[in-house]
Amino acid sequence: MSEAIETREKSTAPASGPRPARSWLRFLEPRGHWVWIALAIALILPFQLVPFRVFQLTMVLVYAVALLGLNLLVGHGGQISLGHGAFFAVGAYTAAIMMDRWDTPYPWTLPVAAAVTFVLGLALGVPAARLHGLYLALVTLAIAIFLVPLLKRFEDVTGGSMGLTLSKPQPPSWTGLAEDQWLYFLALAVAVAAFALVAGLLRSRVGRALHALRDNEIAAEVMGVRLAFYKTLAFAWSALLAGAAGCVYTWVIGFVSPDSFTVNLSITLLAGIVVGGLGSQAGPVLGGLFVMFVPSFAQDINQGAPGVIFGLLIIVVMYVAPTGLAGLAGRAVRSFDRTLRKE
Amino acid sequence: MADFIQQIVVGLGSGAIYASLALALVLIYRFTGIVNFAQGELAMFSAYIAWTFLDAGVPFWIALPITLAISFVGGMLIERIVIRPVEGAPELTIVIVTVGLFIFVNAAAGWIWSFLIKDFPNPFPDGALRAGGVSVGYSTLGVLAVVGVVMGLLYLLFRHTKIGLGMRAVATNPESARLVGIRVGWVLALGWGLAATVGAVSGIMVAPLLFLEPNMMGGVLIYAFAAATLGGMDSPVGAVVGGLIVGVAETLAGAYVDVIGSDLKVGVPLAIILVVLLLRPQGLFGKAAVERA
Amino acid sequence: MKDTAGEFLVVEDLHAGYGDATVLHGVNLTVARGEVCAILGPNGAGKTTLLRALSGMVKGRGAIRLDGADLLGRSPDAVARLGVAHVPEGRGTFMPLTVEENLRLGAFTRRDRAAIEEDLERVYGYFPVLKQRLKQPAGSLSGGEQQMVALGRALMLRPRVLLLDEPSLGLAPLVTRELFGIVQAINEQERTTVVVVEQNAHLALGIAQCAHVLETGRIVLSGTADEIQADEQVAQSYLGYRV
Repeated sequence: MSEAIETREKSTAPASGPRPARSWLRFLEPRGHWVWIALAIALILPFQLVPFRVFQLTMVLVYAVALLGLNLLVGHGGQISLGHGAFFAVGAYTAAIMMDRWDTPYPWTLPVAAAVTFVLGLALGVPAARLHGLYLALVTLAIAIFLVPLLKRFEDVTGGSMGLTLSKPQPPSWTGLAEDQWLYFLALAVAVAAFALVAGLLRSRVGRALHALRDNEIAAEVMGVRLAFYKTLAFAWSALLAGAAGCVYTWVIGFVSPDSFTVNLSITLLAGIVVGGLGSQAGPVLGGLFVMFVPSFAQDINQGAPGVIFGLLIIVVMYVAPTGLAGLAGRAVRSFDRTLRKE
Repeated sequence: MADFIQQIVVGLGSGAIYASLALALVLIYRFTGIVNFAQGELAMFSAYIAWTFLDAGVPFWIALPITLAISFVGGMLIERIVIRPVEGAPELTIVIVTVGLFIFVNAAAGWIWSFLIKDFPNPFPDGALRAGGVSVGYSTLGVLAVVGVVMGLLYLLFRHTKIGLGMRAVATNPESARLVGIRVGWVLALGWGLAATVGAVSGIMVAPLLFLEPNMMGGVLIYAFAAATLGGMDSPVGAVVGGLIVGVAETLAGAYVDVIGSDLKVGVPLAIILVVLLLRPQGLFGKAAVERA
Repeated sequence: MKDTAGEFLVVEDLHAGYGDATVLHGVNLTVARGEVCAILGPNGAGKTTLLRALSGMVKGRGAIRLDGADLLGRSPDAVARLGVAHVPEGRGTFMPLTVEENLRLGAFTRRDRAAIEEDLERVYGYFPVLKQRLKQPAGSLSGGEQQMVALGRALMLRPRVLLLDEPSLGLAPLVTRELFGIVQAINEQERTTVVVVEQNAHLALGIAQCAHVLETGRIVLSGTADEIQADEQVAQSYLGYRV
């Protein structure tokens, strides 16, 4: 017991160290210049690619936002969710229903979708906080499975199996952008905001408490971390991000139907964050790229190929590189940085 | 009244299916403390192996034992190759690995046998026993009988054989089991082999009822989880009783509760899992507490 | 290979521990065939780790030989099959299993059915109380009875070496004395070599022929039980009185 606490104290030490003055920029660290480079590339890309590729990159951003949420829960909180597709779906449907029924201007759907999924996350987070490990996985899986028939049932509101078709957000004329580019920048804005939000969260008490819980639940509790409170909170923030991603999904696709949000989506999201890199900052983006592009390439080999690749990679990643692609990339970046500095 | 009894009979029929997969889940949990999310997919894969033999003209009662044997060896190999490297790792890691296995096996079956639906012959005769307005299909009786036989065989194995005694020893105290000379690693593999065999029985029984396709067991898995949770994750008897209760509850809810109807029946296992975990986490027959600290 | 009575169990320059934490720093000791040997020392000296290394539960560097055969690097089940029975700290009871099942598990590696039945009777001879509790779950027994089950389980292996870790832990003095009497009887009647780790040095030295004192992972004193008992420093440190 005492040993465990000592280790914990050691690992929190860096987090409580001195902070730089421009603390709001801290989410760009470590290795901030790489984030700026990535952001610059992200701003140029939509002007260089054909609309279909721009659309694909937009979807990468959508997935990245959802994976950010899942990363918060799994990577930082050490809890398993096999049902994050459900929050994604609730966010998507919230936006779709608002736009379909009340002709709500699309920008308003984002805060509402985020709020709805946050509250839903809080409500589910209360029992979830009492469940340990694999039981949480079970319950979230059951929720994801249950959601599809539920969406089909309330046909009046959700459009049933047929789903809802909506008009996509149009670019304001002053921008001079095409539709696909406008959607891309909307998704990019949401993604950047989401990254900043998560970075802020992780630096706050919440983040430190989460890490303490993940590393040693019992020790953390002994040290006075309010277990249930922070677990519930992590669940809610995580749900919010998945919901925001779902909302942007609705903008981008302009169509929602229950069969877009089967349990496969939840499992794909988990696969994405595991392969991308649990607990790492770049993990969600790499995971999003992976979830978007690997299936479309592998599909050419065989319909089963994406799953075979996903499944194998998840297992291999858990064996050899628990920090996923981001961990591997991080190693590459660090050695590259070192070479640069030597020159 | 007859209608009510009829619904219970139907519920017992599907409950027996859930029970068989729940048994497989419980077998692995008892030995390793792992919930194998891929259990349903392994069962589906076994059903495909059986289908391949049947399709080649092998009679059912010959194809069955061959399939079971292949499943047994396959289960052992999976433990040795896939699970062994993460033995003792955090729960999160192991759950993720079995989810990876789930995705892999599901897709591999689609790759090998295509995602198209296949017809699977029913080993039991058509028709039904009728008494007082209630009819009990031979296939329902058959499924119940098979689950009974599997349960009985497992009981004999665990209670009356030396290897069964060794397996129970490993389940209760692996460290001490090692000290009396039991090769714990092989017992764990044996547990996976047994679970895969029981799962294969489940898959072969499900296939004729649901049609054979890679996502066949996806729906059954959540019911099996509910059954195992209700009965107690470490209790084989509990898995069977839990399975039957879940089957009956689901059927009755679908038939008599208008709000639920046939489409929202899948909410029943969710409700059962939640209620059990919050009120009596060890389940009806379980001994171990939920948290294995 | 030399096989003299004085070098039945040999430990040479044993380093062992858990992960990065090394607990044993070069332990050397020998136990003669048929002897009871006590391992004494303060808490945290590495006594339990030494036993765990002997039975393969922790890995180590150096050498451990039993009757010339190398034990180091073998898994616990392989060591057990070579005839080393380890009664671990906490007794290693299979709680939900019956007393009889617990005892039969001790003979898990044996194939000689008839002899196993004989040995069961012999265990009941040493521990008559167990015979009345055969069908009870072992977890429902008292601490002393569970220690008897553990000893009985170890005997069922027909061990060449019996490793006992703190058999007196949590037991009433009267029960402890009875248990040590039985250990002595087993040693005398079966000629089983016994290595016993014990906090209660007085009790252990009462039945031992040889003793080793372990301090911070090193043997600081070895000798016959009488010599150790007579040693002033040991007396002060572990026996609680001056000679």
